[in-house]
Amino acid sequence: MRRGFAALTVGVAALCMLAPASVVGQTSPAAPYVPPRTADGQPDLQGVWQVLNTAAWDLEDHGARLGVPAGRSVVEGGAIPYQPAALARKKENFEKRASLDPETKCFHPGVPRITYMPYPFQIVQQADKVSILYEYLHTVRYVYMNGNPHPRGQIEWWMGDSRGRWEGNTLVVDVIHFTDRTWFDRAGNFHSSALHVVERYTPTGPDHLLYEATIEDPKVFTRPWKISMPLYRRQERNAELFEYECNAYLLEQEWTNPASTFFEKR
Amino acid sequence: MSRRVAAIESLLAIALLVVLLVPVAAGQTVWPKGPKLPMAKTWLAEKAKLPPYTPPRTPGGEPDLQGIWDGAGGDNNSYLEDHEYLDDTTPAQESFVSDPPDGKIPYTPWALAKRMEILRSLARGWPGETGERLHVSPGSFCLDYMPVFSFDAHEIVQKPGYVVMLSNEAYRVIPTDGRSAISQNAKFWLGTSRGRWEGNTLVVEVTSLNGKGWFDSTGQFYSENTRMIERWRLADANTMDYEVTVEDPTIYTRPWKMNFPRRRAGTGRGPRGVTAVSDPTAVEDQRYAKEFWETGCYEGNAHTIEVTRSLGFKWFSGVTPPK
Repeated sequence: MRRGFAALTVGVAALCMLAPASVVGQTSPAAPYVPPRTADGQPDLQGVWQVLNTAAWDLEDHGARLGVPAGRSVVEGGAIPYQPAALARKKENFEKRASLDPETKCFHPGVPRITYMPYPFQIVQQADKVSILYEYLHTVRYVYMNGNPHPRGQIEWWMGDSRGRWEGNTLVVDVIHFTDRTWFDRAGNFHSSALHVVERYTPTGPDHLLYEATIEDPKVFTRPWKISMPLYRRQERNAELFEYECNAYLLEQEWTNPASTFFEKR
Repeated sequence: MSRRVAAIESLLAIALLVVLLVPVAAGQTVWPKGPKLPMAKTWLAEKAKLPPYTPPRTPGGEPDLQGIWDGAGGDNNSYLEDHEYLDDTTPAQESFVSDPPDGKIPYTPWALAKRMEILRSLARGWPGETGERLHVSPGSFCLDYMPVFSFDAHEIVQKPGYVVMLSNEAYRVIPTDGRSAISQNAKFWLGTSRGRWEGNTLVVEVTSLNGKGWFDSTGQFYSENTRMIERWRLADANTMDYEVTVEDPTIYTRPWKMNFPRRRAGTGRGPRGVTAVSDPTAVEDQRYAKEFWETGCYEGNAHTIEVTRSLGFKWFSGVTPPK
């Protein structure tokens, strides 16, 4: 109940910032929202979406640091349930985050991290798949709804293998086949290649999705845990994805700096 | 042979290996010597004989270009202009250029001198090279840019107000709602695209390009002043007639065009060496043959990138045409 209230407060605050002209109260939990349908009858989640929180810096409660705004945990229950050895590694990751975070090397950031990075993404639906196009690195995820199971492993993909289904109006995405080389945030929260993510995208109003991700990794955590956050439809009339070619900008910067040791250290 | 010479020779061997391996790593075919591969010239002749074709329509009434389309094929834009066999990633092939009719990019004298300077200081082991080994294609670093995105396999999806092009590792979203271009001070690797329907043709204007990409791996360049106008049209049910006009009075003497067919995936009509969606050798189970699977090109080539830089190759930051 308290969580619901907090989420609603954040949602309304964000709504006021993003869309002063919108009608406040359309996310009322009393009346479940019924989304429009696509031509082939799926709930229509299409459009340009973006998160409005600080999870990309730290999934858990955190104070402010230079370049990092403070924020509340998006983890249900507040803390990530690490096994003792994994917690030690997380702390070490945090200390060395400036050089160890794979995001500083402009690799694909993995799931769910890419969802809550501060860049917009666009959902495009077809009968056989839901494509999620991210401005960050032109990353694209294909959530196949074609009845195919996950392909046989061993596969280690940066963005995993995504298979989707509809549960009512909720898009449920099962993601496996990850590399162990991505993190969940800049604070060093990490996983192994045994990571299993189940994402849920639930429309709660014309301009809001509730994003939930259950994270399971028996090599790192003591139990599955869950994050949740609202996603906001970009309200600008001319909202569109541009590009953030992180790897291209980084390559040019380091390549043209004779003193750079970036490539050797990477 | 002294140790020093041996060391230099092995370094050069590594340089060659790196440059030759990079396109292969990016999905290129290794070619035996054979007859010249078809491109613009053959397509212009084939197209002239085709009967008129009326494409199906989407529910919204637009020409329906949707589906998965194989890439340009051939040597995968390794060398854009007409050439004889050079090495096993650069077989004999016709030019991509359909206009001017000689198949050559109409550079201004300044730009042609610059282009030849780059060509001579590649590290391909080709005749005429200076041995300086200064330049390597930005494509070797797995970056996405125009118009090369449109040379490779992808799926077209049409929605009211926009067209989406989806590939293994990237995408384009092309608004067709009449919105204006953004300031030309804003630059992007893929530029920004604005589309419109002209009869049965999707016309896409690409501007805001950063001018840091190459058309091929031999240093054929454009600049940040370049505008590209793409025309996507069905020549028959399974053939996309792809044409791109390149305009830039600062480096070309006239607008010029590339034109070649893109075949619908799975129709068995692709040119030899076609870039397909999924690597068939990787997809043992045919259920997955039409799925786009992650390639992790940049992530997987981190070591190649490091070695290439350590060998002293320059970063191509675009050209600055004389005023």
